[in-house]
Amino acid sequence: MAILMIIAVAIGGVGLYLAMPRGRTRAGAAPLVVLAAAAAVLIGLLITKVAGHSTAGWFVPLSIIGIVAGLRVVTHRKPVYSALYFILVVIAVAGLLLLMDAEFLAMALVMIYAGAILVTYVFVIMLAQQTGESSYDAQAREPFLAILAGFVLLGTIGSKLFQSTAGEVVTDPVGPTAGFDDNVVHVGTLLLTQYAVGVELAGVLLLAAMVGAIAIARRKALDEPEGDIV
Amino acid sequence: MLIPYLTVGAILFALGLIGFVTRRNLIVMFLCTELMFQGIVINLVAFGRYPLSGQPMLDGQVFSLFLLAVAASEAALALALVVLLFRYKGTLDAGAWNMLRDD
Repeated sequence: MAILMIIAVAIGGVGLYLAMPRGRTRAGAAPLVVLAAAAAVLIGLLITKVAGHSTAGWFVPLSIIGIVAGLRVVTHRKPVYSALYFILVVIAVAGLLLLMDAEFLAMALVMIYAGAILVTYVFVIMLAQQTGESSYDAQAREPFLAILAGFVLLGTIGSKLFQSTAGEVVTDPVGPTAGFDDNVVHVGTLLLTQYAVGVELAGVLLLAAMVGAIAIARRKALDEPEGDIV
Repeated sequence: MLIPYLTVGAILFALGLIGFVTRRNLIVMFLCTELMFQGIVINLVAFGRYPLSGQPMLDGQVFSLFLLAVAASEAALALALVVLLFRYKGTLDAGAWNMLRDD
C-alpha cells in the first residue's frame, strides 16, 4: 500500500511537471495521460480504503473532482480560470465536509469562500490583469525543484498514512455529536461557551485586517510622503 | 475512513505548496495559499469526525471556522498589497520585486 502511494505520487509529480506552463510550447495530451495514470492508482488505493463504507460512492468522485480542480488551479495559464477552478475545489471540499456531518461548516465554506473571498479575487484580477496572456503566467518558476519538494512532502505523508492501520474500522464512530441532527446546535453551543474568547479574538482580527486593508489600498503612489492618501 | 480524508487533504496541501512556489502571478500565488487552507480544513474536520480513540468531537469544525476568519483576513490584506504593488510597477510578476531578496 505504502509503495503504491509513493508510485502514485511519483507519477502525479511527473504529470504535474509536464502540465506546468512552459513558454510558448503547448504540452498537448502527454500530461493528461500521465495524470490519468496517477489518478487511476490513487482511485484504486482510495477504493481499497473506503470500500464497504456507506459514503464511499460519494467520497471518491468528490475527492477526484477536488484534486483535478486543484491541479488546474496550479497549472492554468489564465488567473481568472484558476480562480474559477478554485471555486470547484471549494464546492468539492464542502461536499466532503457534508459526508463528515459538518453541515454548518460546509455551508459557511461555500458562502465565505465561493461567495466572498473568491469574488474579491476576481475583482482584483479584473483590476490588475493585463489583457491577453502575460509572459509571467506562461512560464513556471523552478517547476522541477518545487515538484521535487512537493513529492518529498506528499510521499512521506502518504506512505506513512497508508502504512498505518489506524481508523480502519468501516463503521462510523457514534457519539452525541455524530450524525445528521443538530450539527448547528452543537457547533453554536461550543462556539459560544468553550471558544467564546476565540470568537471575540476572531472579530478583533477581522476588524484589524479590514482597517489594514483599507489603509494599504488607499495609499496612492510611489513617492508621496507617508500618510498622504487619496 | 480517517486515512482517505487525510490523503485528500495532504494532496490539496501539496498542490497549493507547489503552486505557491512555481506560479509567478501574485494573485495566483495567494490563491494557492487558499488551496492549502482547503487541505487543512479537511484534515481538521476528519480528525474530529474520526478520532483515533473515543467519541467524535466538534472541535475540528470550530477550529475550521476560526481558520475561515483567518483566511478572510489574509485574503483582504494580501489583495490590498497586490493592488498596491500593481500600482507601483504595473505588473503582477512576483519577479519584478526580487530586489527585496538577499544577494
